[in-house]
Amino acid sequence: MTRWLPKSLLGQVTLAVALTLFIVQGVNGFLAWSIEKDRAETGLVNTLGLRLVASARIREGGAEKLVARISPGREVSRRSEQDRPRRMGRRFSGTDFTRETGFQTLPQDRAMPELQERLAETLRENGREFTDIRLVERPVSADPIAQRFLQRLALRRGYAPEDLPDSIAVAGITDGNGWDVVRAPIRKPHERYGPLFPLLQAGILTLLLSFVLWLVLRRITGPLAQLTTRTEEFSRRPGQSEPMEPHGPEDVRRLIGAHNAMEARIGAMLAEKDVMLGAIGHDLKTPLAALRVRVESVENAAARERMVDSIEDITLTLDEILALARVGKSDAAPERTDLAALAASVVEEFEDMGETVDLETQRIVATIHLTWLKRGLRNLVSNALRYGGGARVSVLQEGDAAVLRVEDSGPGIPEDRIADMLEPFTRGEASRNRATGGAGLGLTLARAVAEQHGGELHLSNRPGGGLRAEFRLPL
Amino acid sequence: MNDNAPTTLLLVDDERTLREPLAEYLTGQGFVVREADSAAMARSLLGTETPDLVLLDIMMPGEDGLSLCRHLAETKKTPVILLTAKGEAMDRIVGLEIGADDYVTKPFEPRELVARIRSVLRRAERVPEDAAEDMLYAFEGWKLDPLKRRLIDPEGTLVPISTAEFRMLRAFCDHPRRVLDRDQLLDMVQGREAHLFDRAVDNQISRLRRKIEADSRNPHFIQTVRGGGYRFAAEVTRMAQDSR
Repeated sequence: MTRWLPKSLLGQVTLAVALTLFIVQGVNGFLAWSIEKDRAETGLVNTLGLRLVASARIREGGAEKLVARISPGREVSRRSEQDRPRRMGRRFSGTDFTRETGFQTLPQDRAMPELQERLAETLRENGREFTDIRLVERPVSADPIAQRFLQRLALRRGYAPEDLPDSIAVAGITDGNGWDVVRAPIRKPHERYGPLFPLLQAGILTLLLSFVLWLVLRRITGPLAQLTTRTEEFSRRPGQSEPMEPHGPEDVRRLIGAHNAMEARIGAMLAEKDVMLGAIGHDLKTPLAALRVRVESVENAAARERMVDSIEDITLTLDEILALARVGKSDAAPERTDLAALAASVVEEFEDMGETVDLETQRIVATIHLTWLKRGLRNLVSNALRYGGGARVSVLQEGDAAVLRVEDSGPGIPEDRIADMLEPFTRGEASRNRATGGAGLGLTLARAVAEQHGGELHLSNRPGGGLRAEFRLPL
Repeated sequence: MNDNAPTTLLLVDDERTLREPLAEYLTGQGFVVREADSAAMARSLLGTETPDLVLLDIMMPGEDGLSLCRHLAETKKTPVILLTAKGEAMDRIVGLEIGADDYVTKPFEPRELVARIRSVLRRAERVPEDAAEDMLYAFEGWKLDPLKRRLIDPEGTLVPISTAEFRMLRAFCDHPRRVLDRDQLLDMVQGREAHLFDRAVDNQISRLRRKIEADSRNPHFIQTVRGGGYRFAAEVTRMAQDSR
């Protein structure tokens, strides 16, 4: 379920605001709708109530005045009691009231108990007395009196026939003798659009606002996305591109500015480190060179040999430290290289020193930094020879990765120490004394080389015993 | 060569602690050594005398070694060996591109330095003028770059080869279609590394074949000639370096 939800800031905020808007609009619309409904009902009750109050007045003799006011010169007072309401009904536009012997209910009628109660209340408040009350909703088509009334109304006010209501409220009260019956059209709220109108309205509004919101938000998230890309790139290769131009809203501008300042600071520190290591390298190597030359004049051959070994040891460690500081910052572009030939050339170096290394290759071409990968592979092979008592190098392809694998038949590394072995200046138990060599930077450098190529260095113990170290490089 | 007239070296390094013992050592090896502690002093010395070879430190205060090296390559034909504290391939290429003949990384083995001095002097004698020194060798789509010591296959893929293999292939490219016996090859290939002298030529040949031959048991390029020797069967052309 959650995987269908948007993951980006832009998507999530837009969705959240759209949902809120939709709910608020929906509630609003519903409230408006119910208020209007209430108003319509109150209007209906009042109209009916007024007419029923008036019907009593008319029947009790006020009719003359009323009629006189409406149509001066007409004589109504002489009409009989029974006649009057019907005539009055005719006179007063059909629905004002009719006098009937009983309240006729039709099958199409629908009782309106709630409104009937309200109507009764209104009548009591206005002093209109009755013994029974009825209020129903009736289709206009079933009520000829209502039809006549509505037709006249349409004529007088110029309504189109389709604008006229479909149903009418019919209310009647009795004092025990006969029924006073009045009628009023029912105007339903949002008759034209139906009850779904508020929902539709909310939907359209939400869509419109969401679009505007999306436009505004994109102005914020656009620069943020660029900043993310930029940061990722920086963490891979620091100091390669120009600082990012601050844009977007003020907060984001400040974030970009702060990021640029941080980049500049990190870049300066990295450059400083390189300069410092370079200086150390140079400053130590020149006196070492002087020492190396002076050693030649030492008479005692055994002492001279030991001195030469020590100097070479220092040089080796210095080289590894400098290499570790420089890896990944090579200016030279990587080149398409035959990995089989690369492995062969490394193996041959060891053969020239009298070591035996097995080699099994297939031709795989990858884009690599030749000097660095050779150096990394050399470290793995020399580890295997030193601690594993022999090395087997193979070049193969696994999926979309080129694998340079070095295996030995030594004791391997305890599983819980494997991760430690990649840390600088860590050496296996077997090589605590420096005589077996190395500063403990070989695997660290190999890992750095793997990362420089976007790949990884993988160490594992072989099922049959021995260590397997491999470069896995993306092709 | 130092039997008749002694070889003169100019040693340029700002570090007295290295310069003095090195000068002493080289004198002990039979060279006449002139010393300079800066590029400026080296220039003034070069105005009055012409040494056979210049040993030049790269990192020096004032004018650095690379700049002096460029000057030497343009004005005189004196061979130059760079002394550098760095050791990356880039430095070497930069050094060789501006006209240095070789380089050694500090701290170097004094005996190796002497071997390289002799090797550079021998090369300078044997090839008096080779303007096309850094032209590429091309054979059947393969390219051998003598400057960067790189071999590129017909598909444009870099094929890593060792220095010894490079020298041997270059010797073949310099003498295509000619039978070269083992002694000739050894003579042309022998470089600075001592172990190269006594390594079997056949071993190098088989390694080289593994890298450039489609089927190393049935070689197309490097053919074995009955009676002791090898022949490079391809036609070799020289071409200018790609624009870099």
